Order: sequence, then structure tokens, then C-alpha cells
Amino acid sequence: MLRGIDLDLPTHTLIRIEGANGTGKSTLLRLLAGIDAPTEGRISGRRARTAYVPERFPAALPFTASGYLVHLGRIHGLRTPEAADRARSWLARFGAAGHARTPLPELSKGTSQKVAVAQAFLAEPELLILDEAWTGLDTAARDELDRAVAERVASGATVVFVDHDPRRLAGAADAVFRIEGNTLLAAPGAPATGTGPRIRIEAAGPPGAKLPAGLPGAPEHTPAPGGGVRLTVAAAHSDALLRTLLTAHPPWHIRHVATAPARVESPGPHRSATDPGDRPTPEAP
Amino acid sequence: MTALLRYQTALLVRSQRWLAPVLLYAAFIAIGVQWGQPVLDSLGYTAAGLLPVTAWLVQLCAGQEPPAARTVTAAAAGPARAHLAALLAGLGCAGLLGAAATSIVLLISKPASADSSVRVPLLPAGIAGLLAVACCVLLGAVIGALCTRPLLHRRGWSVAATVLLALAALVTGGSPANAAVTGLVTGSRTGTVHLPVLSLVAATALAVAAAALVGKVASRRA
Repeated sequence: MLRGIDLDLPTHTLIRIEGANGTGKSTLLRLLAGIDAPTEGRISGRRARTAYVPERFPAALPFTASGYLVHLGRIHGLRTPEAADRARSWLARFGAAGHARTPLPELSKGTSQKVAVAQAFLAEPELLILDEAWTGLDTAARDELDRAVAERVASGATVVFVDHDPRRLAGAADAVFRIEGNTLLAAPGAPATGTGPRIRIEAAGPPGAKLPAGLPGAPEHTPAPGGGVRLTVAAAHSDALLRTLLTAHPPWHIRHVATAPARVESPGPHRSATDPGDRPTPEAP
Repeated sequence: MTALLRYQTALLVRSQRWLAPVLLYAAFIAIGVQWGQPVLDSLGYTAAGLLPVTAWLVQLCAGQEPPAARTVTAAAAGPARAHLAALLAGLGCAGLLGAAATSIVLLISKPASADSSVRVPLLPAGIAGLLAVACCVLLGAVIGALCTRPLLHRRGWSVAATVLLALAALVTGGSPANAAVTGLVTGSRTGTVHLPVLSLVAATALAVAAAALVGKVASRRA
């Protein structure tokens, strides 16, 4: 049972929920996804386009993988050809293109999970809820899921996830909350002290151009030797960051991409103090 | 809603779970409806048999998604809409079944009153038969929806309650299904066609109320 939970879900945000087994993480996620309604209190705001990925998806449904995805795409509001296209490309992205025509009951556990993940992403949801969605995926698909999550956040979605692996998207989460007792607490200092793998990108903009606002992953930036700027960002966000830079108007030029050395005493993230005040703040009663 | 209905109907059709209720109904019709019987009697019989079959089909639809798939659909479309689409898919299939059975009855029955003294025109008889089918389908759907998840989860209770309520809806005077069927059967004695319009209104009102209640409960605990 959970009580006195006050959670804000702003756009462009990746939120991690932690907690021991049986504390109600899944319950909270189901409430956020709108699958269940709270006994007391309410969930306010417009119902966002929502997608949910359960921990296990052993769906014994009489469809093929792509048949199921097309149905779900239509339920999410896509037209049939569009849903079929996206189903194909998301299955391919997670390495399950070969199983598009396999009936769901014959899929392995991992491939079923890929179908569940593809279902969520093909709708381009505004609110994406992942309940240990990485469970059962192979390493390549896990990394792809990390990147897909970062892309979703970069394009404005709110992503809330639970995962048993503490390193999952480490350093990429904008806020971390912990369920303790019956309530939700902000995990202390979690977003700033991210320790996951980081990528350093050196880029140069057109003369006089400033860095585009709201870059994916809110990278730290310092002047690069020889002009331009050096951006350091959590590895999960690096693809989305590169894409944003390259497609900016006018576009930025990428000079160098490398894995950042392990973090020692880096200057604090530029956003830590002056961050706009719309970050989620839990208020325990 | 169209996408949800397509999904739920495809689930029902492909799962082949519809076979049992549809075969049962076909057997019921084959036993009770013979060539050259008075048309209104046969129409009443056809409509009455559809009530428990509808309840069964609706319950099949309400429970055909495994829990994991159900949460995915509920998040995408809202749990109430997802559940109502399942109920509507069952109701729609039962309606088609009833329409098909009614056409067959109209084709093979004798267009006359029970004692063959009065001619019964087929068109009004057909309309009355379809209205009676609609009453029974709606009432069957109400019973099916109330006696399954999210209101009743235990299978034993669900089956017992469905059977009892379906029987009660057919034999209790005042129930829209009973009124519609009785109207056809008593009309057959004198060769008059009663259109069960009031019964249909009552059945529709019951169905709307049940849908509202079930939708509300479904969004509490999908």
C-alpha cells in the first residue's frame, strides 16, 4: 500500500523509481500508466498518450508478432500502414525482425519482451512506463532500449522506469525516487552524481551561435581547446545529443566523439543550481 | 474504439473459443426450429436461446486477454474503454448470430398463426423477431458483463450466477427479454405481431447502466 505520494511528471524527464521487492513499485507504475485508479487522491492533468511495458510479456495471443503490433498501433491511434511500418522498424531495431511472422505463443521469453517494448515505442508515447522492461532482453537489445529511452526523453516525453540493475541508465535519470515504508522519497543527490559511462563530444557551431537550449541529457559543457565546445553526457543520451546537434538550425559540426575518462573532479553540471523549477518534487506528508 | 473493437473481435475469432457457444446455439436451433412451424413461435424460441449464449460470448471476450496484454491495452486506451470494447465485441458477435438465425427462421417457417387460421406477414414478423433478438442480446450482455471480471473473479461463482440470472431473465415476468419472447409466442396464437419496442428501450437502459457500472469498476482495478 502506498500513501501520501505527490509526484510531478514534467516533459523531457527521465524518472527512476527504486525500492525493495514488494514495496509497491509496480503498483505505483500501474497508477501512473492509468491502468489502476488510486483508492484515494487523484491523478490530474490531461491523459497523455501512454504506453506501458510490463516486466514479463508471456502473451499467449492468437496473433503473429507484427499482427499484434499493428493492432496495438491502431489502438494507439495510428493508421494501419503506418502501424505496420513502425512495427517492422521497431522489431528490426531490437533484433527481432526475423520473428515478425512468428505467432506470439511460439516466441521465446526474450523475443516476447521485444514485442512488448516495440509496442510501447511505435506509438511515440508522451508518457512511457517501463516496469523492468529490460528483463529477459539480450545485451544488444538492452543497450538499444537505453538509447530508445533517451531518444523519447529528448523528443519531449516523460519516461518512468523501474529496474533491478542500479547501473541501468545511470547518470541519465533526471530524478530518482525511492519507495520507503508507504511513501515516496527523493533519492538523495542521485541525478547529479550519476556514475554511468559517459561520452565526450566536441562540436563547433556556426560563428557566434549559442548551444541549442534543452539538449538531451543536459550535458556539461566547457570550451574545447581550439574553439568550439566540449560536451559530456551520459552514454545513453549521446546518440540523441548528436542527432540534436546535427539537425539544429543551423547545424553544428561534430569534431570528435570519445568515451569520457572516469569522473574525478569535474565541474558540476551546469544545470544543477539554475535548473528551471519544474523538476519533480515529492512531498511526503 | 474501432481499433479496440477490431482487436477484441480478432482475438475472439482467432482464439476459436467462440466455437462452443455457437455450436450449442446451432444445436438448440436445429432441435427446436423445424421446417413449416409457425413463424412467430420459432422467432420467440430463437431469441430466447440467444440470451445465455450472449452472456457466454461476452464473458469469453472479457477474459480473453492474458493479464500482461491486458495491462498494455489498458495503458494505451484506458481500462474502461478497453473493457467495454471487449464486451461490445461479444455483444456484436451474438447480434450477428441472432440476425443469421432469425433470417433462417423466416425462410423455413410457415407464415401463419399457430392454428394456421391467420396469415402472418413476414416483414413485420421479421422486425419483431429482430427486436426480440436485440432485447435478449442486450440482456444477455448485461448478465455476462455483471457476472465476470472485474466484478466477479471466481470462475465457479461466475458460471453459477450467469446460469441463474439468465434463467431468471427468461422466466421472470417483467424482464424485457421475457416480455419480448412472450409477446411473440402469445401473438402466434392469434396471428398478431407485437413489436417489443418498450422491452427494447428497457433492455437498452439496463445495458447502458451496466456498461457505466462495469466501466467504472474496470478503471479502478483492471
